[in-house]
Amino acid sequence: MTAMIADNLPVLVIIVPLFIGIVLPVFARRLRLVEGMVVLAEALGLVGAGFLAYMVVTRKGADWIYQVGGWPAPWGIELTANSLAVFFLAVVMVVSLPIALFTIGNLRQEVGGNMRTARFYTLFLLLVGSLAGMALTNDLFNTYVLVEVATLSCCGLVSSHGTPRAAEAAFNYLILATLASSLVVSGIGFIYVITGHLNMGFASQGLEQIWQAKPHAVWIAISFVLVGFGLKSAIFPLHIWLPDAHSSAPSPASAVLSGLAVKGYMICLLKFLYVVFGPDLMKEFSVDRILVLAGMTAIICGSVMALPQNNLKRRLAFSTVAQVGYIYLGFGLMDINGLAGALFYLASHAAIKSALFLSAGAMISATGKKKISELAGIGRKMPLTASVFTAASLGLIGIPLFSGFIGKWYLIAGSLDSGDFLPTIIIIAGSVLCAAYLFPVIRVAWFESPQQAEQVNAEQQAEQPDSAAQEGSRGIALQDEEMHSGQQVQQTAVYQNVQENTPPGNQVKDPGTAQKLALILLTAVIFILGIMPGPFIALAKRAAAELLMLR
Amino acid sequence: MKALLEKLIINYPYFFAVVLFAIGVLTVLTRSNLFKKLLGINIMGSAGFILFIASGNIRGGVEPILHTSDHEAVYVNPLPSALMLTGIVVSVSVTAFALSLIIRLYKEYGTTDAQRIARMRNEVKKIDSNDRR
Repeated sequence: MTAMIADNLPVLVIIVPLFIGIVLPVFARRLRLVEGMVVLAEALGLVGAGFLAYMVVTRKGADWIYQVGGWPAPWGIELTANSLAVFFLAVVMVVSLPIALFTIGNLRQEVGGNMRTARFYTLFLLLVGSLAGMALTNDLFNTYVLVEVATLSCCGLVSSHGTPRAAEAAFNYLILATLASSLVVSGIGFIYVITGHLNMGFASQGLEQIWQAKPHAVWIAISFVLVGFGLKSAIFPLHIWLPDAHSSAPSPASAVLSGLAVKGYMICLLKFLYVVFGPDLMKEFSVDRILVLAGMTAIICGSVMALPQNNLKRRLAFSTVAQVGYIYLGFGLMDINGLAGALFYLASHAAIKSALFLSAGAMISATGKKKISELAGIGRKMPLTASVFTAASLGLIGIPLFSGFIGKWYLIAGSLDSGDFLPTIIIIAGSVLCAAYLFPVIRVAWFESPQQAEQVNAEQQAEQPDSAAQEGSRGIALQDEEMHSGQQVQQTAVYQNVQENTPPGNQVKDPGTAQKLALILLTAVIFILGIMPGPFIALAKRAAAELLMLR
Repeated sequence: MKALLEKLIINYPYFFAVVLFAIGVLTVLTRSNLFKKLLGINIMGSAGFILFIASGNIRGGVEPILHTSDHEAVYVNPLPSALMLTGIVVSVSVTAFALSLIIRLYKEYGTTDAQRIARMRNEVKKIDSNDRR
């Protein structure tokens, strides 16, 4: 039995979350059981990922290639557990476990109703399973299917609030994500037409032999794949869906979308570019320059767009646009330090952004206030949550001792190695801008008393002209409906500690034990990655060397 | 020019795929009706499927079943068609989910026009901020 599990570990890591996710709605009446099963699935995934990582690290150099159904390579689907795969698998499992913990006893209040909660968990586990699959798969069409599973789960998570605003954001996301999927499937089609293979290794060999004869076809395939995955992972000019989608989702969903889902598409892009097309082809078609340029633009524009946002979750969502830029920048540097830095930054951002979204979600659901200026003095009422938010902010800015610093350090080392100083300047400027949009939140949370803030708000609102009389009756009716449905949700909520519209008072306090544990775990991950980055950097460097074919 | 036209005529499925893709992208990006956006997505998806399926076809090829009488037969490649079955399943699920979202939006706003929905949402927001005063 143990031997069977150990032999089939790569496929079990994918199947277990998918299977448990699908059976969850059957047990929807018993929410405790559902929550227990979700945590069990996550824990099993974490153990599996840990074991797989241990096996790959100790194997030294040889990848673990698993043939699904026993069919050998050109015909069957291969799962390859190499350094990159186990690195991303570990990131997915380590970050999604605290997010699952955070939802315990707290999710029903946000999505409303037992059945909806169980469906949320189904989508969550489907997303986790498909992300694990994206890390491991070595087959082009398999990647497409997993990407589609992830996309549909993401859209479902965005709309799980059930509000019209969320439905609109989810629809826009769905349309653009499906457009991206069409581009990706066309790109895969071109690769298949050129090479006749869907296995990444065989397709890569075919492309190597044939690209000089058919450069235009290869160019088209690269463009399709680049734009398709770029749209899905929200690189700057293609980010328009992200702020709406990530800010209107429930907080745990925002955390998993911003922290993990976007990263999964980036790992897919990385595998397509480095494994299928190969570093030589990338240089030939100057894809590396495009990636660096897109990354630099994203860092500056994303940060600048985050500055004027007063809605906390929107500010964090725009910050994701900027942080995606760092990872793309590292992908484009074509240097072992830069690529390892990008992978490490990806892991660190996954933990940091999840911690930020979860702590922001805890503050928002405790006070019922979404704007940064309304969260004054929250640090004294919710000390743990605000501390986690502060620690994660410092990590995102890149203060030493936090994980963001190590990632940026290696990115800067990589950009200096490549002999171009502009990326270095942009990385440092991005850190300054990041401080500019996160420090005000920390200042408001710790150093402003609520009375001051109320005065400021009153003054600001007094300046706005009265325009209520101009509104049509339809708008007012709509608002009534919205309030009505909101009240219904509040009445049905069992776990709800604080009602949504209560004014901030003595009731505002840190969330429950499971939530505290989740936040502490994520902070611990940020600190461990920042203080003892050795083994993680070593694994990232090995993955980078494998991708650059330096071994 | 003549050679180009000949190539175009011989490879007509690819040409159709390109045309359909363009129509789909144009519909998605320029129409504000949610249903038309969804139709555009489906047209675009079909373009990808046609591209894939056409790549498996061989002119004069027969179905890939072992013919005992005819050892010289050229078989068409069944793999792309099989893959596109999966693609069609994905496309159906996307359509179903998008339709459910459209129904939700229609119930709330009474229209399926993206711009009108955005306008109504902004009005609600304005009233909200006035109320909070």
